[in-house]
Amino acid sequence: MKEGKGSSLFRLLMLDWLVVALACAMAVYTQFQAQQSLVWKPLLPLAIFSAAIPVTSLWLKMLGWQGDQGFVGAVFLLCGLGLVTQIRLTGFAGDSNVISPLALLPLSAGLLAFLLGASITGGRRGRWLSSAGWGAYFGALGVMALMLVFGRSYRGGIYLPGRINPSELVKPLLVLFMAAFLANRAKAFSETQIGIPTPPFSALVQLVFLWSIPMAGTLLLKDLGLMVILNAILIVMLFAVSRRSGYLALGCVAVTAAGFGVQLISGNAKDRFDVWLHPFADATGKGWQVLQSLSAMYCGGMWGAGIGGGDPKFVPIASSDFVYAALAEEIGFVGCTMLLCVYGILFVRGFRAAGMIKAPFERLLCVGLTSALAVQTVFNIAGVTKALPMTGITLPLISHGGSSLIVTLLVCGLIAGLSDSRK
Amino acid sequence: MAELVGDWLKGGLGIHLLTIMKALFLIVFLWAVLALSGTAYPGKKLKVNYVLLGWIFCGALFAVLAYQATWQLGGMTRPAFVKFMRTYNRRENAAQQQTLRGALLDRRGLVLAAPQPGSIWGRRYPLGAAAAHPLGYYDFRYGITAVERVCDGTLSGMTQTPEDLAKSILVKRPEQGESVNLTLDSRLQKKAYELLKNRSGAVVVINPRNGELLALVSAPGFDPQHPESAIRDSIRKPAFNRAVQGRYPPGSTFKIVTAGAALNNNSSPTFNCPGGGFVAGKGKKPIRDSEYYSDLRKGRQWKGWGSIDMKEAMIHSSNVYFSQLGAGCTANQMAAVMRDAQIDQELPYLADSSGALASMQGRIPDLESGWNRAQAAIGQGNLLVTPLHVACYTAAVANKGVLYAPQLNLDAQAKKLSQPFTAATAYTLKVMLREVVKKGTGRKAELAGLDLCGKTGTAEVNGGKDHSWFTCFAPFHDPVLVVTVLVENGGYGAEAALPVARELLSEANKLGYFKRTAGGRK
Repeated sequence: MKEGKGSSLFRLLMLDWLVVALACAMAVYTQFQAQQSLVWKPLLPLAIFSAAIPVTSLWLKMLGWQGDQGFVGAVFLLCGLGLVTQIRLTGFAGDSNVISPLALLPLSAGLLAFLLGASITGGRRGRWLSSAGWGAYFGALGVMALMLVFGRSYRGGIYLPGRINPSELVKPLLVLFMAAFLANRAKAFSETQIGIPTPPFSALVQLVFLWSIPMAGTLLLKDLGLMVILNAILIVMLFAVSRRSGYLALGCVAVTAAGFGVQLISGNAKDRFDVWLHPFADATGKGWQVLQSLSAMYCGGMWGAGIGGGDPKFVPIASSDFVYAALAEEIGFVGCTMLLCVYGILFVRGFRAAGMIKAPFERLLCVGLTSALAVQTVFNIAGVTKALPMTGITLPLISHGGSSLIVTLLVCGLIAGLSDSRK
Repeated sequence: MAELVGDWLKGGLGIHLLTIMKALFLIVFLWAVLALSGTAYPGKKLKVNYVLLGWIFCGALFAVLAYQATWQLGGMTRPAFVKFMRTYNRRENAAQQQTLRGALLDRRGLVLAAPQPGSIWGRRYPLGAAAAHPLGYYDFRYGITAVERVCDGTLSGMTQTPEDLAKSILVKRPEQGESVNLTLDSRLQKKAYELLKNRSGAVVVINPRNGELLALVSAPGFDPQHPESAIRDSIRKPAFNRAVQGRYPPGSTFKIVTAGAALNNNSSPTFNCPGGGFVAGKGKKPIRDSEYYSDLRKGRQWKGWGSIDMKEAMIHSSNVYFSQLGAGCTANQMAAVMRDAQIDQELPYLADSSGALASMQGRIPDLESGWNRAQAAIGQGNLLVTPLHVACYTAAVANKGVLYAPQLNLDAQAKKLSQPFTAATAYTLKVMLREVVKKGTGRKAELAGLDLCGKTGTAEVNGGKDHSWFTCFAPFHDPVLVVTVLVENGGYGAEAALPVARELLSEANKLGYFKRTAGGRK
């Protein structure tokens, strides 16, 4: 039984590898068609991905991990597709056709972070994290303070020198804190009257006070995307702890109202709303990016241009925020549907894993981390397709950006560990 | 090794290899998705059920995906988006991914405008300047005009049936938009333009029986592939379509309408036409015949036509007769026939998915005043029309009094617009116009075997040489073509406009337009 499961994970990962390898072959072929020369060097990161498959299987087996294999398979598939996209966007599209060794670092570090995460929480070893709740809270505030002092504004966001965006860290840290905070107050937040949640006043004041400080931080940083994500995660976690759907309804209203309200104070947010509502009003200015993104998708059509067959270079920042547009052009609408299915599997499995956990803290942690991934995915894709205003956030596991990939893989590792709920 | 693989890829397999790879990738991807979703969950007992959360996020993802489909798959139904992509989509292979613009064809299927493969904005116009006005231009910087604009939706493949739309989404976008068949005959169009060359003017050739426009020429012309200089030239105004946009006094060609007004009311009087002319109002200058002035220049005294009837007056194009006729009609009688001849209306000549084209409207002066009626009767004063209007009232005479809407689309249904003249009036007018060519002012236009009917016109212009008009149709018994020519500042109608019409008719005759009737006469 035990062995059967282990080999099943390996099979899934090999299937992921096959998808990724086929995508790479397509990229090589289209590159050959365009340049009449075969180039292999950009495929170097594929070696790391390939090596990660047996390493991961062996490592998890050594740990005695018995978590959700489908979840790990989905993570690897998305990560692999992100890798192909980055190879295609930077390696093949660049003039040098070479990827610097530095570019290999995030992937290697990310895969290690995944294993680390799985090791931390696997086999219910993660309970000690609840005592780190306050540490995580002040850690998150510290990161924000660091960015306020040293950050530089770039494309509407604030980055540390070297374009590291540590705001990625704020999300898991705050999730960890909220899980620890709410786990002890499950009863309080479950109280409702005629469907409307009515937690006791003292608990509410505590929560509002503690929450308002990081919110003020996001306002100071002008990182509205982060603010939206954090609030959405909070709502999901409140629902998870209370299991009162009133929180979801209330939260949706609050997020919508906040979204409209925020454009009153921030010019940047107002621009994004204007573009969303009237993209053609300033087609060559503010509307340019999202319209180029949609043009790329249109050119991809139903079946796509093939990996490497499209021209994502015309979409501004195609490698990070708008990576979905680049993918949509090349894998087509059919490919996008399947890609979103993989994301769906990831979320359903993440939430399902949370449902298996008995301990409230770990359960909440799992819900929080999963919803962080889910909220980010939905808002990124909705922004790129103009279904919602742009929030300026990355697509988990696929967008380029070193710090983002490492943290996301760490989060995925933690969820994978939490899904291992054996006694 | 790399070379070896390269040679193999260049071989026959190479063409379809990308398609095969795409298919293989999607199949394996699907396999992976199914395998992932089918993998068993660890453990069995759920402590808490959070399935709702999973479905909320999945629902959100697929709602976004559905919205994405309206752009990725249905983008062609959003005109603003299509326009954006046409202008700003800089993809090198965009020409393959975007619909190639359909062609404009003449009535025999010859190309009037064709796409240039490999370039979105490239457009080839075999007739060049000769057909630039009716077709318009399709320019990245200067926009889209005339037929190119009105038929834009059809040409760029945006107007599709639901089945076509489904097919274009599922399998492949249409590589080429639909082409549009126009009623123009490129040979007549070209000939007419050549005949006008170096002058300003317009030629309209129309089939009186259904309103089809066989030629719609305006001179000077311009190169539709480089419209910028034409747009900037504000002196010669080459971009201006004189045939439908230019408004001119119709001169004596309007006597057709005046005669029609009287004949419709069963009035065909005889007037005395003295050399001194006709004084239509107190203190007004007498309206005189042109002979008065030509005799004056020769040092002679014009004695006048004496007492003449309408036919005689038409033959000589007597201003004295027709101004009396106009002044004698009531304002209502004159206005009715002018309105029925659509003088105060825009004449629509093309409608398609992206708009419609119509001429300028003419201007009818206040007809309550006898002086104005007398002036309007001879096509002067405040009366203004476009060359298309002149062609249309000529066509009504040729077609038993019935006016068909001018039409540029070969596939459109012929549409009756109005009936300015009764059938009897039309016949009487036709007989008179035949006499004009036989022995009157239009006799230089007589072509053997054509039985041409026509009317000259010389329209006075303030501070310039007269505009020269000639409008005619042939053959007498069963007219198939109406030709209207205007030469700006050309002088007498018989001098400038008439030769153009005659050469054009002679060309049409060579092309066989009058064959059936000619055969019947043998």
